[in-house]
Amino acid sequence: MYNELIMDYSKLKKYKGKIEDATKVEEGKNLSCGDEITLYLKIENERIVDAKFEGIGCAISQASANLMIENIINKSIDEVKILIDNVYKMTRGEEYDKSVLGLIEELKSIKDYPMRIKCFLLAWKTLELSFK
Amino acid sequence: MLSKNILSDFPALSRTIKGNRIVYLDSAASTLKPKPVIDKLSKFYLENYANVHRAVHTLASESTQMLEFSRKNFANFLNSSEHEIIFTSGTTMSINLIVESLVRSKMLNENDIVLTTLVEHHANFVPWVRLSKLHGFRVEFVEPSLRFGTLAIDDFLKKDINPKVVAITGHSNVTGQLIDIEKIRNIFPNSILIVDGAQLIPHQRIDVKSLDIDFLCFSVHKMLGPSGIGVLYGKSQYLETLEPFLYGGEMIDKVSVEDVTFNVLPYKFEAGTPNIGGIVGANYALEYLNNIGYDEVKKHILDLTKYAIEKFRNIENVEVYGPLDESHCGILSFNINGIHPHDVAHLLDEKFGVAIRSGHHCAQPLMNVLKSQSRLSQFPNSTCRASFYIYNTYEDINILIEGIKRIKEWFDV
Repeated sequence: MYNELIMDYSKLKKYKGKIEDATKVEEGKNLSCGDEITLYLKIENERIVDAKFEGIGCAISQASANLMIENIINKSIDEVKILIDNVYKMTRGEEYDKSVLGLIEELKSIKDYPMRIKCFLLAWKTLELSFK
Repeated sequence: MLSKNILSDFPALSRTIKGNRIVYLDSAASTLKPKPVIDKLSKFYLENYANVHRAVHTLASESTQMLEFSRKNFANFLNSSEHEIIFTSGTTMSINLIVESLVRSKMLNENDIVLTTLVEHHANFVPWVRLSKLHGFRVEFVEPSLRFGTLAIDDFLKKDINPKVVAITGHSNVTGQLIDIEKIRNIFPNSILIVDGAQLIPHQRIDVKSLDIDFLCFSVHKMLGPSGIGVLYGKSQYLETLEPFLYGGEMIDKVSVEDVTFNVLPYKFEAGTPNIGGIVGANYALEYLNNIGYDEVKKHILDLTKYAIEKFRNIENVEVYGPLDESHCGILSFNINGIHPHDVAHLLDEKFGVAIRSGHHCAQPLMNVLKSQSRLSQFPNSTCRASFYIYNTYEDINILIEGIKRIKEWFDV
């Protein structure tokens, strides 16, 4: 799991922080470890124009959140929903559309670590929550 | 080290994972099971098993005798009477039973005070907090004042209250601190004293009479036995008057459309078909530990703890929680500055075969205490936890320490 790309993405600072004029702020929690995330989205015309997150977590959760944000900025809500759907399929070990996932696929072996899926999905569940 | 070599009784320890032998340091969550205990339990299921206390045939008689023999041995173990030993599914069920029965019997009323601590695990915390909302009693919390979540006896004296109930752990599942129950009893001579012995009983014999404990709860899966079975000791003067928590078969005397009368103790609190195999297996586990000797078990665990604490002292950027003296037993929680506990636990397993626990250990209030005292750049709301039992060795701790040092290098902290 702990390959170079994941370690690099876990330390990324680019997407960490707060967006003052966010149009959506969503909080997520991982009940197994107490990790929390606050996700800031700036949505204009059904398109995510900026996103950032706050919170601490393990390398897997941080890498996942950074990869997620990198992959949702400048995408429409509908495109993001397709992305989320494919991410969930990947974690369940089901067939998924590789072309949609890009570098997120580096985390595909998460399906073999049932205890770490919650870490990986923390940001994604929070993102999904923000559309409800 | 133990005078008897018992490692071959635990076949899991001779397994290797990715080339490393398993170093099992998660016994505070649940212990491994010895082969002799499993063999005996297997024989019981194959040759003696039937439902208990009902039928008159041979298998039913044998099962009933073996179940009651288990009760007798646990009563001897705790210096109680057999009718004061109730089998439940575990510590959590036992504590829920006590709280609910106290409320139903009006022994815990509106404005009564329950005193507990901020180091409790959720089983001895959540029932009090939730049921206080529903029934109006008040819960007060003792805050640990010594290093990283360590309770001092003076912390209890600070509370100028007269609690109806004092509900306290005998051994913290996070800080590893042993609590002096005798002193707590002396501070609160008139309170109903409930001891959560989930972490304590696996390494210590408790005399409920000499300590004047009113209720004691523990789970068998943390002391080499099956999961899903626990023991609740209750003083008979309370059990006689308490309203049962679960109603159903076997706990009744006469049943009519008007009302129901209850069976005698302990059956009044054991509704339905019990976990028969669990109870019989619990006794086999107890016998196994008694054969080693409880004093030897505790000494072994204290020796390992002392050794581990000394080793940890020499690693930079690591915070060890709980006390540093002989009151620290068997459970070592720590954090490495800048590395999340889940990453530490995952890498220890994957690269070194070391099984530890990471997370909030079902003790979220204590995580808040640790967070307020931590000197880490960011406290992760959780900790790593290595816990030791009879099958661990100094070599296991050396492997853990080596793993931690290597992980620190990888993360460059």
